[in-house]
Amino acid sequence: MKNNLLKWYQTILISWKKNTAYRLNFLLQIIGPALVFFFIKYSLWNTIFSKNPGVKIGGYTFAAMITYHIWSFIVSLIAQGHTALNLSMDIRMGRISSYLIYPFNFWEFHTASFIGFQLLQFVVASISLLIFSLLGILPEFTWTNLVLGMTCSFYVSLFWYTLQYLTGIIAFWLEETWILRVILQIVTVFLSGAVIPLELFPAWAVKILEYTPFPYLTYYPIKIFSGAPVDLTNFFTIVTGWMIILILANSFIWKRGMRLYTAAGM
Amino acid sequence: MKIFKEINHYIQVYGKFASTSISEATSFRTSFILMIFMDIFFNLSSLFTISIIFDHVSLVGDWNKDQLLFFTSFMLVVDCFHMLFLSHGFWRFSDDLKTGNLDYTLLRPVSSIFTVFFRYFKPSSIPDFFLTVGLIIYFGMKINLGLWQWIAIPFLVLLSFTLLALIEFIISCAMFWLVEGLGVNFLRMQLQSMSRMPDFIYNQFMKRVLTFCIPILLVGSGPVQFIFDPSKWIYLVYMLGGIIFCYYFLIFIWNRGLNHYDSASS
Repeated sequence: MKNNLLKWYQTILISWKKNTAYRLNFLLQIIGPALVFFFIKYSLWNTIFSKNPGVKIGGYTFAAMITYHIWSFIVSLIAQGHTALNLSMDIRMGRISSYLIYPFNFWEFHTASFIGFQLLQFVVASISLLIFSLLGILPEFTWTNLVLGMTCSFYVSLFWYTLQYLTGIIAFWLEETWILRVILQIVTVFLSGAVIPLELFPAWAVKILEYTPFPYLTYYPIKIFSGAPVDLTNFFTIVTGWMIILILANSFIWKRGMRLYTAAGM
Repeated sequence: MKIFKEINHYIQVYGKFASTSISEATSFRTSFILMIFMDIFFNLSSLFTISIIFDHVSLVGDWNKDQLLFFTSFMLVVDCFHMLFLSHGFWRFSDDLKTGNLDYTLLRPVSSIFTVFFRYFKPSSIPDFFLTVGLIIYFGMKINLGLWQWIAIPFLVLLSFTLLALIEFIISCAMFWLVEGLGVNFLRMQLQSMSRMPDFIYNQFMKRVLTFCIPILLVGSGPVQFIFDPSKWIYLVYMLGGIIFCYYFLIFIWNRGLNHYDSASS
Protein backbone atom coordinates (compact mmCIF):
# COMPACT_ATOMS: atom_id res chain seq x y z
CA MET A 1 0.00 0.00 0.00
CA LYS A 2 2.76 2.42 1.04
CA ASN A 3 4.79 1.52 -2.04
CA ASN A 4 1.80 2.13 -4.26
CA LEU A 5 1.16 5.54 -2.71
CA LEU A 6 4.79 6.42 -3.28
CA LYS A 7 4.37 5.63 -6.99
CA TRP A 8 1.32 7.89 -7.16
CA TYR A 9 3.18 10.66 -5.32
CA GLN A 10 6.22 10.44 -7.62
CA THR A 11 4.04 10.46 -10.77
CA ILE A 12 2.14 13.51 -9.52
CA LEU A 13 5.49 15.20 -8.87
CA ILE A 14 6.76 14.33 -12.37
CA SER A 15 3.54 15.64 -13.91
CA TRP A 16 3.92 18.93 -12.00
CA LYS A 17 7.54 19.25 -13.14
CA LYS A 18 6.70 18.40 -16.76
CA ASN A 19 3.95 21.00 -16.87
CA THR A 20 6.08 23.73 -15.33
CA ALA A 21 9.29 22.91 -17.24
CA TYR A 22 8.36 25.24 -20.10
CA ARG A 23 6.70 28.11 -18.28
CA LEU A 24 5.99 30.30 -21.30
CA ASN A 25 4.43 27.33 -23.03
CA PHE A 26 2.25 26.63 -19.99
CA LEU A 27 1.18 30.27 -19.90
CA LEU A 28 0.29 30.29 -23.60
CA GLN A 29 -1.34 26.87 -23.67
CA ILE A 30 -3.31 26.78 -20.43
CA ILE A 31 -3.73 30.25 -18.92
CA GLY A 32 -3.69 32.31 -22.15
CA PRO A 33 -6.77 30.80 -23.79
CA ALA A 34 -8.88 31.18 -20.62
CA LEU A 35 -7.74 34.80 -20.20
CA VAL A 36 -8.39 35.75 -23.84
CA PHE A 37 -11.78 34.00 -23.74
CA PHE A 38 -12.69 36.02 -20.64
CA PHE A 39 -11.49 39.26 -22.25
CA ILE A 40 -13.56 38.67 -25.41
CA LYS A 41 -16.68 37.89 -23.36
CA TYR A 42 -16.12 40.95 -21.16
CA SER A 43 -15.74 43.19 -24.23
CA LEU A 44 -18.78 41.72 -25.95
CA TRP A 45 -21.14 42.03 -22.97
CA ASN A 46 -19.76 45.49 -22.19
CA THR A 47 -20.70 46.60 -25.72
CA ILE A 48 -24.14 44.99 -25.48
CA PHE A 49 -24.98 46.54 -22.10
CA SER A 50 -23.58 49.97 -23.03
CA LYS A 51 -26.17 50.12 -25.85
CA ASN A 52 -28.90 49.02 -23.46
CA PRO A 53 -27.94 50.68 -20.15
CA GLY A 54 -29.73 49.52 -17.02
CA VAL A 55 -31.50 46.73 -18.86
CA LYS A 56 -31.58 43.13 -17.61
CA ILE A 57 -30.79 40.46 -20.18
CA GLY A 58 -32.13 37.06 -19.19
CA GLY A 59 -32.26 38.38 -15.63
CA TYR A 60 -28.62 39.53 -15.71
CA THR A 61 -27.43 43.09 -15.17
CA PHE A 62 -23.98 43.99 -16.57
CA ALA A 63 -22.39 43.41 -13.14
CA ALA A 64 -24.14 40.04 -12.77
CA MET A 65 -23.02 39.00 -16.26
CA ILE A 66 -19.38 39.86 -15.53
CA THR A 67 -19.62 38.02 -12.21
CA TYR A 68 -20.93 35.01 -14.12
CA HIS A 69 -17.97 35.13 -16.50
CA ILE A 70 -15.38 35.61 -13.76
CA TRP A 71 -16.62 32.40 -12.12
CA SER A 72 -16.77 30.80 -15.58
CA PHE A 73 -13.05 31.63 -15.94
CA ILE A 74 -12.27 29.89 -12.63
CA VAL A 75 -14.45 26.87 -13.48
CA SER A 76 -12.82 26.49 -16.91
CA LEU A 77 -9.38 26.44 -15.26
CA ILE A 78 -10.26 23.83 -12.66
CA ALA A 79 -12.93 21.73 -14.33
CA GLN A 80 -11.96 21.55 -18.00
CA GLY A 81 -8.24 22.15 -18.30
CA HIS A 82 -7.12 18.60 -18.95
CA THR A 83 -6.66 17.08 -22.41
CA ALA A 84 -5.98 13.48 -23.40
CA LEU A 85 -3.13 14.38 -25.75
CA ASN A 86 -0.44 12.29 -23.99
CA LEU A 87 -2.83 9.41 -23.54
CA SER A 88 -3.60 8.99 -27.23
CA MET A 89 0.06 9.58 -28.17
CA ASP A 90 1.05 6.71 -25.86
CA ILE A 91 -1.33 4.39 -27.72
CA ARG A 92 -0.44 5.59 -31.21
CA MET A 93 3.31 5.43 -30.62
CA GLY A 94 3.09 1.99 -29.02
CA ARG A 95 4.35 3.32 -25.70
CA ILE A 96 1.68 1.51 -23.68
CA SER A 97 3.77 -1.67 -23.99
CA SER A 98 5.83 -0.33 -21.07
CA TYR A 99 2.73 0.04 -18.89
CA LEU A 100 1.82 -3.59 -19.54
CA ILE A 101 5.08 -4.62 -17.87
CA TYR A 102 5.43 -1.90 -15.18
CA PRO A 103 3.83 -2.43 -11.75
CA PHE A 104 2.00 0.87 -12.30
CA ASN A 105 -0.56 0.53 -15.02
CA PHE A 106 -1.69 2.88 -17.80
CA TRP A 107 -4.80 4.06 -15.94
CA GLU A 108 -2.89 4.75 -12.71
CA PHE A 109 -0.12 6.65 -14.50
CA HIS A 110 -2.46 8.94 -16.41
CA THR A 111 -4.76 9.52 -13.43
CA ALA A 112 -1.79 10.47 -11.26
CA SER A 113 -0.55 12.81 -14.02
CA PHE A 114 -4.03 14.31 -14.17
CA ILE A 115 -3.99 14.93 -10.39
CA GLY A 116 -0.60 16.66 -10.76
CA PHE A 117 -2.04 18.86 -13.49
CA GLN A 118 -5.12 19.62 -11.39
CA LEU A 119 -2.99 20.73 -8.42
CA LEU A 120 -1.23 23.14 -10.72
CA GLN A 121 -4.56 24.39 -12.06
CA PHE A 122 -5.74 24.93 -8.47
CA VAL A 123 -2.69 27.13 -7.81
CA VAL A 124 -3.34 29.08 -11.05
CA ALA A 125 -7.02 29.52 -10.14
CA SER A 126 -6.10 30.73 -6.63
CA ILE A 127 -3.60 33.24 -8.04
CA SER A 128 -6.26 34.41 -10.53
CA LEU A 129 -8.72 34.97 -7.68
CA LEU A 130 -6.07 36.97 -5.85
CA ILE A 131 -5.39 39.10 -8.94
CA PHE A 132 -9.14 39.69 -9.47
CA SER A 133 -9.35 40.71 -5.82
CA LEU A 134 -6.42 43.16 -6.17
CA LEU A 135 -8.03 44.62 -9.31
CA GLY A 136 -11.23 45.05 -7.33
CA ILE A 137 -13.34 42.99 -9.74
CA LEU A 138 -13.67 39.84 -7.64
CA PRO A 139 -17.37 39.21 -7.11
CA GLU A 140 -18.71 39.05 -3.56
CA PHE A 141 -18.56 35.54 -2.20
CA THR A 142 -18.81 33.57 1.00
CA TRP A 143 -16.06 31.15 2.00
CA THR A 144 -18.62 28.36 2.13
CA ASN A 145 -19.62 28.97 -1.49
CA LEU A 146 -15.99 29.27 -2.55
CA VAL A 147 -15.04 25.93 -0.96
CA LEU A 148 -18.21 24.31 -2.28
CA GLY A 149 -17.63 25.73 -5.78
CA MET A 150 -14.01 24.51 -5.80
CA THR A 151 -15.12 21.05 -4.59
CA CYS A 152 -17.81 20.81 -7.27
CA SER A 153 -15.37 22.02 -9.95
CA PHE A 154 -12.86 19.36 -8.90
CA TYR A 155 -15.61 16.76 -9.06
CA VAL A 156 -16.56 17.96 -12.54
CA SER A 157 -12.87 17.79 -13.52
CA LEU A 158 -12.96 14.06 -12.66
CA PHE A 159 -15.92 13.68 -15.00
CA TRP A 160 -14.09 15.70 -17.67
CA TYR A 161 -11.04 13.47 -17.19
CA THR A 162 -13.07 10.28 -17.74
CA LEU A 163 -14.56 11.85 -20.87
CA GLN A 164 -11.12 12.87 -22.12
CA TYR A 165 -9.85 9.39 -21.26
CA LEU A 166 -12.55 7.97 -23.53
CA THR A 167 -11.50 10.20 -26.44
CA GLY A 168 -7.87 9.26 -25.77
CA ILE A 169 -8.28 5.47 -25.85
CA ILE A 170 -10.25 5.67 -29.07
CA ALA A 171 -6.72 6.03 -30.50
CA PHE A 172 -6.79 2.20 -30.71
CA TRP A 173 -9.07 2.66 -33.74
CA LEU A 174 -8.68 6.28 -34.77
CA GLU A 175 -5.51 7.79 -36.23
CA GLU A 176 -6.29 11.37 -35.17
CA THR A 177 -8.07 11.65 -31.80
CA TRP A 178 -7.48 15.41 -31.58
CA ILE A 179 -10.53 15.86 -33.82
CA LEU A 180 -12.79 14.27 -31.20
CA ARG A 181 -11.25 16.47 -28.51
CA VAL A 182 -11.84 19.62 -30.55
CA ILE A 183 -15.45 18.61 -31.32
CA LEU A 184 -16.00 17.94 -27.62
CA GLN A 185 -14.47 21.31 -26.74
CA ILE A 186 -16.61 23.23 -29.26
CA VAL A 187 -19.84 21.53 -28.18
CA THR A 188 -19.04 21.84 -24.47
CA VAL A 189 -18.10 25.51 -24.60
CA PHE A 190 -21.35 26.32 -26.37
CA LEU A 191 -23.80 24.04 -24.53
CA SER A 192 -22.38 24.28 -21.01
CA GLY A 193 -23.14 27.98 -20.69
CA ALA A 194 -19.50 29.08 -20.87
CA VAL A 195 -20.24 31.78 -23.48
CA ILE A 196 -23.90 32.52 -22.83
CA PRO A 197 -25.69 31.74 -19.53
CA LEU A 198 -28.33 29.06 -20.00
CA GLU A 199 -31.09 31.52 -18.95
CA LEU A 200 -30.61 33.16 -22.36
CA PHE A 201 -31.10 29.91 -24.29
CA PRO A 202 -34.59 29.12 -25.62
CA ALA A 203 -36.67 27.25 -22.99
CA TRP A 204 -36.97 24.11 -25.16
CA ALA A 205 -33.18 23.93 -25.53
CA VAL A 206 -32.65 24.23 -21.77
CA LYS A 207 -35.15 21.40 -21.20
CA ILE A 208 -33.19 19.15 -23.55
CA LEU A 209 -29.85 20.19 -22.05
CA GLU A 210 -31.05 19.15 -18.58
CA TYR A 211 -30.89 15.55 -19.80
CA THR A 212 -27.25 15.94 -20.88
CA PRO A 213 -24.10 16.43 -18.78
CA PHE A 214 -23.28 19.81 -20.38
CA PRO A 215 -24.89 22.22 -17.87
CA TYR A 216 -23.05 20.41 -15.06
CA LEU A 217 -19.69 21.21 -16.65
CA THR A 218 -19.86 25.00 -16.33
CA TYR A 219 -23.29 26.44 -15.58
CA TYR A 220 -24.02 24.71 -12.25
CA PRO A 221 -20.50 25.13 -10.80
CA ILE A 222 -20.79 28.88 -11.60
CA LYS A 223 -24.15 29.03 -9.84
CA ILE A 224 -22.63 27.29 -6.80
CA PHE A 225 -19.74 29.79 -6.69
CA SER A 226 -22.14 32.72 -6.91
CA GLY A 227 -24.33 31.35 -4.11
CA ALA A 228 -27.44 30.68 -6.21
CA PRO A 229 -29.64 27.84 -4.94
CA VAL A 230 -28.51 24.58 -6.55
CA ASP A 231 -29.75 21.14 -5.55
CA LEU A 232 -26.38 19.64 -4.61
CA THR A 233 -27.73 16.11 -4.17
CA ASN A 234 -29.08 16.25 -7.70
CA PHE A 235 -25.80 17.75 -8.97
CA PHE A 236 -23.59 15.05 -7.44
CA THR A 237 -26.01 12.24 -8.37
CA ILE A 238 -26.14 13.26 -12.04
CA VAL A 239 -22.39 13.87 -12.40
CA THR A 240 -21.67 10.55 -10.63
CA GLY A 241 -24.18 8.77 -12.88
CA TRP A 242 -22.51 10.08 -16.03
CA MET A 243 -19.10 9.25 -14.60
CA ILE A 244 -20.11 5.62 -13.92
CA ILE A 245 -21.40 5.29 -17.49
CA LEU A 246 -18.12 6.67 -18.84
CA ILE A 247 -15.96 4.48 -16.57
CA LEU A 248 -17.83 1.39 -17.79
CA ALA A 249 -17.44 2.56 -21.40
CA ASN A 250 -13.71 3.21 -20.84
CA SER A 251 -13.21 -0.21 -19.33
CA PHE A 252 -15.04 -1.89 -22.23
CA ILE A 253 -13.16 0.09 -24.88
CA TRP A 254 -9.81 -0.55 -23.20
CA LYS A 255 -10.42 -4.32 -23.21
CA ARG A 256 -11.51 -4.29 -26.87
CA GLY A 257 -8.64 -1.97 -27.79
CA MET A 258 -6.03 -4.21 -26.17
CA ARG A 259 -7.11 -7.01 -28.51
CA LEU A 260 -6.22 -4.76 -31.44
CA TYR A 261 -3.02 -3.36 -29.99
CA THR A 262 0.03 -4.14 -32.15
CA ALA A 263 2.75 -2.34 -30.14
CA ALA A 264 3.92 -0.14 -33.02
CA GLY A 265 7.68 0.31 -33.06
CA MET A 266 8.45 -2.71 -30.87
CA MET B 1 9.10 35.70 -68.35
CA LYS B 2 11.20 34.42 -65.46
CA ILE B 3 8.50 35.29 -62.94
CA PHE B 4 5.86 33.30 -64.87
CA LYS B 5 8.21 30.32 -64.98
CA GLU B 6 8.70 30.65 -61.23
CA ILE B 7 4.92 30.88 -60.58
CA ASN B 8 4.34 27.84 -62.77
CA HIS B 9 7.00 25.95 -60.83
CA TYR B 10 5.31 26.80 -57.49
CA ILE B 11 1.87 25.82 -58.85
CA GLN B 12 3.27 22.44 -59.90
CA VAL B 13 4.88 21.92 -56.50
CA TYR B 14 1.64 22.90 -54.76
CA GLY B 15 -0.24 20.44 -56.97
CA LYS B 16 1.99 17.67 -55.63
CA PHE B 17 1.51 18.87 -52.04
CA ALA B 18 -2.27 18.84 -52.51
CA SER B 19 -2.35 15.45 -54.17
CA THR B 20 -0.27 13.77 -51.41
CA SER B 21 -2.39 15.50 -48.74
CA ILE B 22 -5.60 14.22 -50.36
CA SER B 23 -4.22 10.67 -50.55
CA GLU B 24 -3.16 10.84 -46.91
CA ALA B 25 -6.43 12.33 -45.69
CA THR B 26 -8.67 9.93 -47.55
CA SER B 27 -6.75 6.92 -46.21
CA PHE B 28 -8.26 7.57 -42.78
CA ARG B 29 -11.93 7.89 -43.64
CA THR B 30 -13.35 8.15 -40.11
CA SER B 31 -10.97 11.01 -39.29
CA PHE B 32 -11.89 12.63 -42.59
CA ILE B 33 -15.63 12.52 -41.81
CA LEU B 34 -15.09 13.68 -38.22
CA MET B 35 -13.16 16.69 -39.52
CA ILE B 36 -16.13 17.65 -41.68
CA PHE B 37 -18.36 17.45 -38.60
CA MET B 38 -15.85 19.48 -36.60
CA ASP B 39 -16.10 22.34 -39.10
CA ILE B 40 -19.90 22.13 -39.13
CA PHE B 41 -20.11 22.19 -35.31
CA PHE B 42 -17.81 25.18 -35.20
CA ASN B 43 -19.89 27.10 -37.76
CA LEU B 44 -23.15 26.27 -36.02
CA SER B 45 -21.88 27.24 -32.57
CA SER B 46 -20.63 30.60 -33.93
CA LEU B 47 -23.96 31.38 -35.60
CA PHE B 48 -26.17 30.14 -32.74
CA THR B 49 -24.20 32.19 -30.20
CA ILE B 50 -25.05 35.37 -32.10
CA SER B 51 -28.61 34.28 -32.76
CA ILE B 52 -29.23 33.65 -29.03
CA ILE B 53 -27.77 37.03 -28.06
CA PHE B 54 -30.08 38.76 -30.55
CA ASP B 55 -33.09 36.99 -29.06
CA HIS B 56 -32.61 39.41 -26.15
CA VAL B 57 -31.18 42.59 -27.72
CA SER B 58 -31.72 44.40 -31.00
CA LEU B 59 -28.24 45.86 -31.49
CA VAL B 60 -24.63 44.96 -30.69
CA GLY B 61 -22.72 48.20 -31.08
CA ASP B 62 -24.37 49.72 -34.13
CA TRP B 63 -24.95 46.42 -35.89
CA ASN B 64 -28.19 44.48 -36.07
CA LYS B 65 -28.51 40.70 -36.15
CA ASP B 66 -28.15 40.29 -39.92
CA GLN B 67 -25.11 42.55 -40.07
CA LEU B 68 -23.34 40.64 -37.30
CA LEU B 69 -24.27 37.31 -38.89
CA PHE B 70 -22.86 38.57 -42.21
CA PHE B 71 -19.65 39.55 -40.41
CA THR B 72 -19.47 36.08 -38.82
CA SER B 73 -20.08 34.40 -42.18
CA PHE B 74 -17.30 36.49 -43.72
CA MET B 75 -14.94 35.33 -40.96
CA LEU B 76 -16.08 31.73 -41.42
CA VAL B 77 -15.12 31.91 -45.10
CA VAL B 78 -11.68 33.29 -44.17
CA ASP B 79 -11.35 30.57 -41.51
CA CYS B 80 -12.30 27.98 -44.10
CA PHE B 81 -9.50 29.14 -46.42
CA HIS B 82 -7.18 29.03 -43.44
CA MET B 83 -8.24 25.45 -42.64
CA LEU B 84 -7.93 24.38 -46.27
CA PHE B 85 -4.49 25.74 -47.00
CA LEU B 86 -2.62 26.44 -43.77
CA SER B 87 -3.93 24.97 -40.53
CA HIS B 88 -1.94 21.70 -40.54
CA GLY B 89 1.35 23.37 -41.41
CA PHE B 90 1.58 25.35 -38.17
CA TRP B 91 1.30 22.24 -35.98
CA ARG B 92 3.80 20.27 -38.04
CA PHE B 93 6.23 23.20 -37.98
CA SER B 94 6.70 22.96 -34.19
CA ASP B 95 7.36 19.21 -34.56
CA ASP B 96 9.76 19.73 -37.47
CA LEU B 97 11.78 22.21 -35.45
CA LYS B 98 12.06 19.80 -32.51
CA THR B 99 12.89 16.73 -34.56
CA GLY B 100 15.19 18.41 -37.08
CA ASN B 101 12.91 17.57 -40.02
CA LEU B 102 13.12 21.20 -41.08
CA ASP B 103 16.54 20.32 -42.55
CA TYR B 104 14.87 18.53 -45.46
CA THR B 105 12.68 21.55 -46.15
CA LEU B 106 15.67 23.85 -46.23
CA LEU B 107 17.41 21.66 -48.81
CA ARG B 108 14.56 21.89 -51.33
CA PRO B 109 14.82 24.35 -54.26
CA VAL B 110 11.65 26.23 -53.24
CA SER B 111 11.02 28.91 -50.63
CA SER B 112 11.20 27.38 -47.15
CA ILE B 113 8.29 29.56 -45.97
CA PHE B 114 6.15 28.18 -48.79
CA THR B 115 7.07 24.57 -48.03
CA VAL B 116 6.64 24.87 -44.25
CA PHE B 117 3.23 26.55 -44.26
CA PHE B 118 1.62 25.36 -47.51
CA ARG B 119 2.83 21.77 -47.37
CA TYR B 120 -0.48 20.36 -46.05
CA PHE B 121 -3.80 20.82 -47.79
CA LYS B 122 -6.92 19.83 -45.80
CA PRO B 123 -9.48 18.34 -48.21
CA SER B 124 -11.99 17.69 -45.43
CA SER B 125 -12.65 21.45 -45.36
CA ILE B 126 -13.95 21.46 -48.95
CA PRO B 127 -17.59 20.81 -47.85
CA ASP B 128 -17.13 23.60 -45.31
CA PHE B 129 -16.15 25.92 -48.16
CA PHE B 130 -19.52 25.41 -49.87
CA LEU B 131 -21.34 25.78 -46.55
CA THR B 132 -19.64 29.04 -45.59
CA VAL B 133 -19.99 30.50 -49.08
CA GLY B 134 -23.69 29.64 -48.90
CA LEU B 135 -23.91 31.42 -45.54
CA ILE B 136 -22.21 34.58 -46.78
CA ILE B 137 -24.53 34.68 -49.80
CA TYR B 138 -27.60 34.14 -47.60
CA PHE B 139 -26.72 36.84 -45.07
CA GLY B 140 -25.44 39.14 -47.84
CA MET B 141 -28.88 38.93 -49.45
CA LYS B 142 -30.55 39.63 -46.10
CA ILE B 143 -28.66 42.92 -45.77
CA ASN B 144 -29.33 43.81 -49.42
CA LEU B 145 -25.77 44.11 -50.70
CA GLY B 146 -25.34 45.96 -54.01
CA LEU B 147 -23.55 44.70 -57.13
CA TRP B 148 -20.18 46.32 -56.34
CA GLN B 149 -20.28 44.81 -52.85
CA TRP B 150 -20.86 41.30 -54.23
CA ILE B 151 -17.98 41.79 -56.67
CA ALA B 152 -15.72 43.10 -53.90
CA ILE B 153 -16.35 40.21 -51.49
CA PRO B 154 -14.03 37.59 -53.15
CA PHE B 155 -11.18 40.11 -53.34
CA LEU B 156 -11.73 41.19 -49.74
CA VAL B 157 -11.76 37.56 -48.55
CA LEU B 158 -8.46 37.04 -50.36
CA LEU B 159 -7.03 40.19 -48.79
CA SER B 160 -8.16 39.10 -45.32
CA PHE B 161 -6.77 35.62 -45.77
CA THR B 162 -3.41 37.04 -46.90
CA LEU B 163 -3.19 39.34 -43.89
CA LEU B 164 -4.21 36.58 -41.46
CA ALA B 165 -1.69 34.19 -42.98
CA LEU B 166 1.17 36.70 -42.77
CA ILE B 167 0.39 37.58 -39.14
CA GLU B 168 0.29 33.90 -38.21
CA PHE B 169 3.53 33.12 -40.09
CA ILE B 170 5.25 35.90 -38.12
CA ILE B 171 3.89 34.62 -34.79
CA SER B 172 4.98 31.08 -35.67
CA CYS B 173 8.55 32.31 -36.14
CA ALA B 174 8.70 32.60 -32.34
CA MET B 175 9.03 28.80 -32.36
CA PHE B 176 12.63 29.18 -33.58
CA TRP B 177 13.54 30.64 -30.20
CA LEU B 178 11.44 28.34 -28.02
CA VAL B 179 12.26 24.76 -27.00
CA GLU B 180 8.54 23.88 -26.82
CA GLY B 181 6.66 25.70 -29.57
CA LEU B 182 3.19 24.25 -28.99
CA GLY B 183 2.08 27.24 -26.89
CA VAL B 184 2.76 29.59 -29.82
CA ASN B 185 0.02 27.80 -31.76
CA PHE B 186 -2.38 28.49 -28.91
CA LEU B 187 -1.40 32.17 -28.98
CA ARG B 188 -2.12 32.19 -32.70
CA MET B 189 -5.53 30.63 -32.10
CA GLN B 190 -6.37 33.21 -29.42
CA LEU B 191 -5.62 36.01 -31.85
CA GLN B 192 -7.91 34.31 -34.36
CA SER B 193 -10.69 34.24 -31.73
CA MET B 194 -10.27 37.97 -31.15
CA SER B 195 -10.54 38.67 -34.87
CA ARG B 196 -13.88 36.83 -34.99
CA MET B 197 -15.51 39.70 -33.10
CA PRO B 198 -16.05 43.16 -34.63
CA ASP B 199 -13.42 45.72 -33.63
CA PHE B 200 -15.92 48.07 -31.94
CA ILE B 201 -16.41 45.69 -29.00
CA TYR B 202 -12.84 46.30 -27.79
CA ASN B 203 -11.77 49.35 -25.82
CA GLN B 204 -9.81 52.09 -27.61
CA PHE B 205 -6.41 50.94 -26.38
CA MET B 206 -6.87 47.28 -27.38
CA LYS B 207 -8.45 48.33 -30.65
CA ARG B 208 -5.39 50.41 -31.52
CA VAL B 209 -2.94 47.69 -30.47
CA LEU B 210 -4.84 45.01 -32.42
CA THR B 211 -5.24 47.24 -35.47
CA PHE B 212 -1.82 48.84 -35.79
CA CYS B 213 0.67 46.71 -33.80
CA ILE B 214 -0.73 43.23 -34.45
CA PRO B 215 -3.30 44.05 -37.15
CA ILE B 216 -5.50 41.03 -36.40
CA LEU B 217 -8.72 43.08 -36.11
CA LEU B 218 -8.27 44.29 -39.68
CA VAL B 219 -8.76 40.72 -40.92
CA GLY B 220 -12.53 40.75 -40.40
CA SER B 221 -13.56 44.21 -39.33
CA GLY B 222 -11.57 46.03 -42.05
CA PRO B 223 -13.32 44.57 -45.12
CA VAL B 224 -16.78 44.25 -43.52
CA GLN B 225 -16.77 47.87 -42.29
CA PHE B 226 -15.85 48.86 -45.85
CA ILE B 227 -18.66 46.74 -47.34
CA PHE B 228 -21.21 48.31 -44.97
CA ASP B 229 -19.93 51.84 -45.48
CA PRO B 230 -17.61 52.61 -48.46
CA SER B 231 -16.59 55.90 -46.83
CA LYS B 232 -14.54 53.72 -44.48
CA TRP B 233 -12.09 52.93 -47.32
CA ILE B 234 -9.25 53.83 -44.98
CA TYR B 235 -9.59 50.30 -43.53
CA LEU B 236 -8.47 48.90 -46.90
CA VAL B 237 -5.46 51.21 -46.90
CA TYR B 238 -4.60 49.93 -43.41
CA MET B 239 -4.98 46.35 -44.65
CA LEU B 240 -2.73 46.88 -47.67
CA GLY B 241 -0.20 48.68 -45.48
CA GLY B 242 -0.40 45.83 -42.97
CA ILE B 243 0.16 43.21 -45.67
CA ILE B 244 3.21 45.01 -47.10
CA PHE B 245 4.71 45.58 -43.66
CA CYS B 246 3.99 42.02 -42.49
CA TYR B 247 5.50 40.56 -45.67
CA TYR B 248 8.84 42.32 -45.25
CA PHE B 249 8.87 41.73 -41.51
CA LEU B 250 8.20 38.02 -42.11
CA ILE B 251 11.18 37.74 -44.49
CA PHE B 252 13.37 39.50 -41.90
CA ILE B 253 12.22 37.45 -38.90
CA TRP B 254 12.24 34.17 -40.85
CA ASN B 255 15.88 34.69 -41.87
CA ARG B 256 16.79 35.60 -38.28
CA GLY B 257 15.01 32.45 -37.15
CA LEU B 258 16.88 30.28 -39.65
CA ASN B 259 20.16 31.75 -38.45
CA HIS B 260 19.18 30.79 -34.92
CA TYR B 261 17.94 27.31 -35.91
CA ASP B 262 20.10 24.51 -34.62
CA SER B 263 19.16 21.23 -36.23
CA ALA B 264 18.21 18.49 -33.78
CA SER B 265 19.10 15.76 -36.25
CA SER B 266 22.63 16.77 -37.21
